[in-house]
Amino acid sequence: MSSSRTETGVVDVVMPQLGVSVVEGTVVEWRKAVGDRVEADEIVVEVSTDKIDTEIPAPAAGVVSELLVGAGETVAVGMPLARIEAGDALTDDGVPAEGQPPASGGDDAGAEATGNGAGRRLSPVVQRIAADHAIDLSEVEGTGRDGRIRKQDVLAHVETAQAPLHTESPFRPESVPKPESAPVGGTLSRMRRTIGEHMKRSLETAATCTTWIEVDMSRVERERAALGLTALPLVARATIDALREHPQLNAWLEDERHTVHDDVHLGIAVSLDEDGLIVPVVRDAHDLSPEGLGRRIRDLARRARAGELTADEVRGATFTLTNPGQYGALMATPVISQPQVAILDIEAIIKRPVVVAGPDGEDAIAIRPMCVLGLSWDHRALDGVLAARFLSAVRRRLEGGPS
Amino acid sequence: MSTLTYLQAISDGLRTEMRDDDRVFVMGQDVGAFGGAFKVTDGFLDEFGANRVMDTPLAESGIVGTAVGAAVAGLRPVCEMQFADFVACGFDQLVNVAGKMHYRQGLSVNITVRLPSGGGFSGGPFHSQNPEAWFMHAPGLKVVAPSTPEDAKGLLTTAIRDPNPVVFCEHKNLYRRVKGEVPAGEHATPFTARVAREGDDLVVIAYGAMVHTALEATEDLDGARVMVLDLRSLVPLDEEAILAAVHRCSKVVVVDEANQTCAAGAQVAALIAQRAFEDLDGPVVRVATPDVPIPFSPPLEQAVLPDVERVREACRELLAY
Repeated sequence: MSSSRTETGVVDVVMPQLGVSVVEGTVVEWRKAVGDRVEADEIVVEVSTDKIDTEIPAPAAGVVSELLVGAGETVAVGMPLARIEAGDALTDDGVPAEGQPPASGGDDAGAEATGNGAGRRLSPVVQRIAADHAIDLSEVEGTGRDGRIRKQDVLAHVETAQAPLHTESPFRPESVPKPESAPVGGTLSRMRRTIGEHMKRSLETAATCTTWIEVDMSRVERERAALGLTALPLVARATIDALREHPQLNAWLEDERHTVHDDVHLGIAVSLDEDGLIVPVVRDAHDLSPEGLGRRIRDLARRARAGELTADEVRGATFTLTNPGQYGALMATPVISQPQVAILDIEAIIKRPVVVAGPDGEDAIAIRPMCVLGLSWDHRALDGVLAARFLSAVRRRLEGGPS
Repeated sequence: MSTLTYLQAISDGLRTEMRDDDRVFVMGQDVGAFGGAFKVTDGFLDEFGANRVMDTPLAESGIVGTAVGAAVAGLRPVCEMQFADFVACGFDQLVNVAGKMHYRQGLSVNITVRLPSGGGFSGGPFHSQNPEAWFMHAPGLKVVAPSTPEDAKGLLTTAIRDPNPVVFCEHKNLYRRVKGEVPAGEHATPFTARVAREGDDLVVIAYGAMVHTALEATEDLDGARVMVLDLRSLVPLDEEAILAAVHRCSKVVVVDEANQTCAAGAQVAALIAQRAFEDLDGPVVRVATPDVPIPFSPPLEQAVLPDVERVREACRELLAY
């Protein structure tokens, strides 16, 4: 229990630092109103910075006495958002604080804190196993001293939790209609609105053109099978090499300010299905091998879907890759992510008959895995010749020509 | 294979190496005509002669110093300290000369120093100590401590052949108390740990006489499957075996017969805290002798040395955690 909180009786809920470069945040929604009682670490308010939403917990238990910032308002990091009259409080140990009168009713003293096992002591191995198997520890019954969850408890939970679903079973439960299906329509989600604003601004700002090239992916297919990767990290590596050859595409154009970057910070578009799209950034991608890129992309995508990215992980890209091709799409005109000057789109790899050179140099028809790469580029920053040269540099690397 | 006591196994290992290798010889107080204070070298004088079974004055620094010189000249001396406690008089020769010779001058010091260690028989404060950790802390020395007759022979053989100075801690209280099958002829044991009993609910890590205490304490412990890991070698410490045991069991009791502070078990506990943190399901528990001299009085000695009951209680507590 912090001493300041008992001395003053009033604690501020402040806008936290949500990333190294983040200086402000916007209040999205208040979860508590003036007069509401909160427990320590209970969520008080939801804030957002760019694409990242974060819930802010109460620093102490007590009663909300004042909301200082309205929903939709943006304030600087460190500014107070709300005041809590600390009191009637449970200390961190779940013991009623001394000298405090009980809360109205006062019957919740000693109640277990919410969250993933919060309020209970968890050993490192229990936390590791829970994290590995995505287990909600509040569902695990502890058999150790004072109900502590032991390793065997969480292991037993893993086994029972996995038991009922047998993959070989022909039985598939019929889909049950959701009891409270959300009404179709309504206002757009905040993420959809943000994406919309960004895309529209890009199309209004840039002179967007798209150039396509067709690539024989035979070598990529062989290599990715050998490395146990998807094609994406191999295309990413080839793109990075081509960007080093043509740095004019690894650039930002802000009004008339043109900045060409040495380092490649590669944005990777990750679909969040119906929720939208987020573009985490592989920082210093030029330092990574295809295997390293594959690992980083997997990690970023997983955390993107889990909503765990920090604000710093979705900004600062110098070039972006998008690959709707994994869903079988054939061609697209991607929209450039401002202030970058180009975006590369990887389409589906499809076997097609193509004309190749036979053993004696004569024309022959062969079946080859082909893929269309589409580059949307900003005609303000460069011309079509450069876009074509860049695509050809990517193709040369993917097909295994001299690099 | 023959059934030997721990003491006979040491004699057997020493005799085998002396028969096979002319460079091996023994020196120490009363090792010749008397056959050694504990009779490890009984009969050696008759078999190998006074040049290879040398009685020395009561001067441990002289014994170790002479051995260092002989080793540098190409021999493989095995020194006997009458009691481990007396090695303190040879400390400088062992720690500062033998341990640093290779570092300073690139010379091999192929000596083995046998330390009859440990208490449990009312030997009092000068005849009961476990000084392993003094030498673990000194770079350049290896330290081993067998718990079984088979390992007593095997580790001694490896120690004699090792080009580095090796401190060989043989436990006096095991000399005639434990018997076991020992391979005849040459038998060398690597300086690695050994799983004395398999298990996965908890691991007791011990060495020397405490391995037997650990085995007895956990033989029937409310149905728990308790692993016992016998370290055998303290330098080098078999870190991978320790980490593997912790990974499997997640709960650890470390037992030392030595005084608690900075004992071998402290190093083991520190290793686990640093490299096995995410495998732990409870605090690393230590059972050791408190930081007091070993009392002469039998009830007082029993009170300070870790015994079956103390180890069992520590395991029960941790299992229930």
